[in-house]
Amino acid sequence: MIHMSEVSKVYENGSSALNNINIDIEKGEFVFLVGSSGAGKSTFIKMIFREVLPSKGQLIINGRNIMTMKEEEVPYLRRGLGIVFQDYRLLPDKNVYENVAFAMQVIEAPRREMQKRVNSVLELVGLRDKLKSLPSQLSGGEQQRVAIARAIVNSPMIVIADEPTGNLDPDTSWEIMKIFERINKSGTTIVMATHDKTIVDAMKKRVIAIEDGCIIRDEVKGAYGYED
Amino acid sequence: MKIRTWEYFIREVFVSLKRNSWMTFASISTVALSLLILGLFLIIVLNLNNMATSLESQVQINVYLKDELSDKKMEDIGQKIKKLPGVEEIKFVSKKEAMERFKERLGDQQTLLTALGESNPLPNAFEVKLRAPEQVKAAANLINEYEGVENAKFGQDIIDQLFELTKMIRIFGFIIIVFLALATIFIISNTIRLTVFARRKEIGIMKYVGATDWFIRWPFLMEGMVLGLLGSAVATFILRNSYGAVVAKIYDTLTFLPLIPEQPFLNNVSILMVVVGTAIGALGSTISLKRFMKV
Repeated sequence: MIHMSEVSKVYENGSSALNNINIDIEKGEFVFLVGSSGAGKSTFIKMIFREVLPSKGQLIINGRNIMTMKEEEVPYLRRGLGIVFQDYRLLPDKNVYENVAFAMQVIEAPRREMQKRVNSVLELVGLRDKLKSLPSQLSGGEQQRVAIARAIVNSPMIVIADEPTGNLDPDTSWEIMKIFERINKSGTTIVMATHDKTIVDAMKKRVIAIEDGCIIRDEVKGAYGYED
Repeated sequence: MKIRTWEYFIREVFVSLKRNSWMTFASISTVALSLLILGLFLIIVLNLNNMATSLESQVQINVYLKDELSDKKMEDIGQKIKKLPGVEEIKFVSKKEAMERFKERLGDQQTLLTALGESNPLPNAFEVKLRAPEQVKAAANLINEYEGVENAKFGQDIIDQLFELTKMIRIFGFIIIVFLALATIFIISNTIRLTVFARRKEIGIMKYVGATDWFIRWPFLMEGMVLGLLGSAVATFILRNSYGAVVAKIYDTLTFLPLIPEQPFLNNVSILMVVVGTAIGALGSTISLKRFMKV
């Protein structure tokens, strides 16, 4: 699914974000990405959906070679990925249904399929009864659930989440994690950057720790491993 | 792209035109003004060109004779002209006839003639009609050489002057139009920039969920084109309604001016204006998209 070999990223201002990363993430894995702020987690995440292009090395996502990919192919790479952000990034003037349907609309999915699919993902995240609500009428947890529904509505192979529980209280965070776990059970690969020690320690998933642009730890049933 | 997608684009365009209604108004007005001036210059230049060409296509030479020629001599010259290739018709206009025509043309300003007293400064003349305008210049040159001919004129001077004037107006108009076009492109690109700004969040999300660049660009491109189209529609409307009135007014006072009739001339100018307006709109958006939206 995700294959990185000898991947490095040096930004234009000369700062080195990642250094010689070698990693393989297989289909159906659930991977936590941990590390202090500025360690290179964000760069790692952004490289997967080609927001950031590696300076060096080999990077293959869903069988697509990122290094040789043309600009026009990027949208098709992203259709195979679902992205969830810490700040939800919902459209404030569209309701829950429209926010999720938007992701299918812009890739010109057939309308029939759209209705069915949007309803089923909203069911999955538990928001079937809030179709008509605007984001401003929802709690933070609910907004994040809409964002997750939007990320998975096009049935991506990989879901990438950058601090998805960063703005949420512990109880709500757990609800969100349960949704991710459900998505993962259906065979979707999940890569999540997080600072949430409790969650990482409790879930016993693969943990990749990054410090100063290098992978310092990669454990199959890992723990957070830091004292915050 | 699917029809449903186009419906979506059109909806987006109108939402955003409404959202920036002041910029929309400013853009449409600038486009309209610029195109109105473009249309005006076009009409003037084309009309002057038309005048010059229609004068050029006149096949008449006026041959003015020297004074004090005998009737026999004048008769001879007439015969010689008649035998020239291409001459279709020749008519003698005596001094007296010329004076009468002149009086007629003066109308109620006969007093001007009193200065002349009894003398008649107008020469005897032949009006020579040729079959084709191409033959006029050569024939006039030949006739000029005849003994007893003062000169043979066919309006070359005025034609040259008209063409000269057309050229100047064309250059002047071109400069003004280029400036106006730049101003229009600037205004439109600014309007689109506001739209891009208002939509930056939406654009970001579209990119993350895998919308193609063209899917993202189209609504903005269409918005610019709609602005150009509406502006040119306003300009065309004004121009079409005033041309007829102006032509009628000119015919009232200057009957002899060969103005281009309204149709199909006005339709062609309108089509051109609409095409140019829409193109300017598209160009304005493209510039904004290139600068403010990395898609």
